[in-house]
Amino acid sequence: MFDIAFNTFDEIINMKGHGIYVWLVYSISILIIVVSFTITRMRIKNICKRININNASG
Amino acid sequence: MYPYLLFIGITTLMIGWIWGVLYAPEDFQQGNSYRIIFLHVPASIFAQTIYYFMSICALMHIVWRVKLAAYLIKSAAPIGAMITFIALFSGSIWGIPTWGTWWQWDARITSTLILFIMYLGILTLHGSFSNLEKADRLMSILVIVGVVNLPIIKKSVDWWSTLHQPASISTSGSSIDPSMLMPLLISIVGLGFTLISLGILSSRLYILNREKNKKWVLEHV
Repeated sequence: MFDIAFNTFDEIINMKGHGIYVWLVYSISILIIVVSFTITRMRIKNICKRININNASG
Repeated sequence: MYPYLLFIGITTLMIGWIWGVLYAPEDFQQGNSYRIIFLHVPASIFAQTIYYFMSICALMHIVWRVKLAAYLIKSAAPIGAMITFIALFSGSIWGIPTWGTWWQWDARITSTLILFIMYLGILTLHGSFSNLEKADRLMSILVIVGVVNLPIIKKSVDWWSTLHQPASISTSGSSIDPSMLMPLLISIVGLGFTLISLGILSSRLYILNREKNKKWVLEHV
C-alpha cells in the first residue's frame, strides 16, 4: 500500500500520458483555493485598517 | 481556532493527495487519470454539503429571523461557488481521457452546473438590493427554493441513464479498493477542514463589513 506507484520522476510527471490532466486539475484547484484564502485575508486586513482610521478620526 | 483548523485541513489534505496521486495503485481501466478522484469527489461532496448548510441557515433566518444565519449564507455562497467550479472543472478534465469529451449534457453534470448557477444567483440577488434586510430575506427564500436541486444531483445517476458513473461510496459500503478508498477519505476530511477554516475567514470578513459602524466592531478591531 505504501510503495510509490512510479519508478522515475519522469513517470510521475507523465503518468503514461495522463499527467497533463492530473497535474492541470490539481495545480489550478490549489491555485484557486490559495487565491481565495489570500484575497479574504487581504480584505479583512483592509477593512480593519479602514475601521481603525474611522475610529481614530472619531 | 482558525489557524488550527487550517493547519489540520492542509496537513490532512496533503497526506490524502500525496498518498492518492503518488502511492495508490493505477486503476486497471482508467489508468492514472483516475487520480483526479482525490480532488473531484471531495469537491463534489462539499459543493452539495455547503448548500445543505446554507439551506439550514436560510430556514433559521426565515423562521426565527436569526440575523447571523443570513450572514453565514452570504459568507458560504462564494465558497460554495468556488468548490462547485472546482468539481465541474476537475470532472470536465477527467472526462477528456475517460469519456473522450470534456462536457456532456447528462443529468449529473447539468444538475451540478445548475448548483453552480444557483450559488452565483444567490450572490447576485443579494448584491442587487440596497436594503440589506430585504436582500437577506429574499436570498434565504432563493436558497430554500434551490434545495430541490440537491436530491436531483444525488439521484440523477439512478433516475436517468447518464454518462457519469453511479456513486462508488454509499452508506451500505464502497466499491473502491481500500488502497484507493483510504486516501480518498483522508482527502475528504482534509478538504472539509480547509473549507471550514475558509468559511470562518469569510464570515469574519462579511460580519466586519456589515457591522463596521457598530460599537462592538470598533471595540473588537
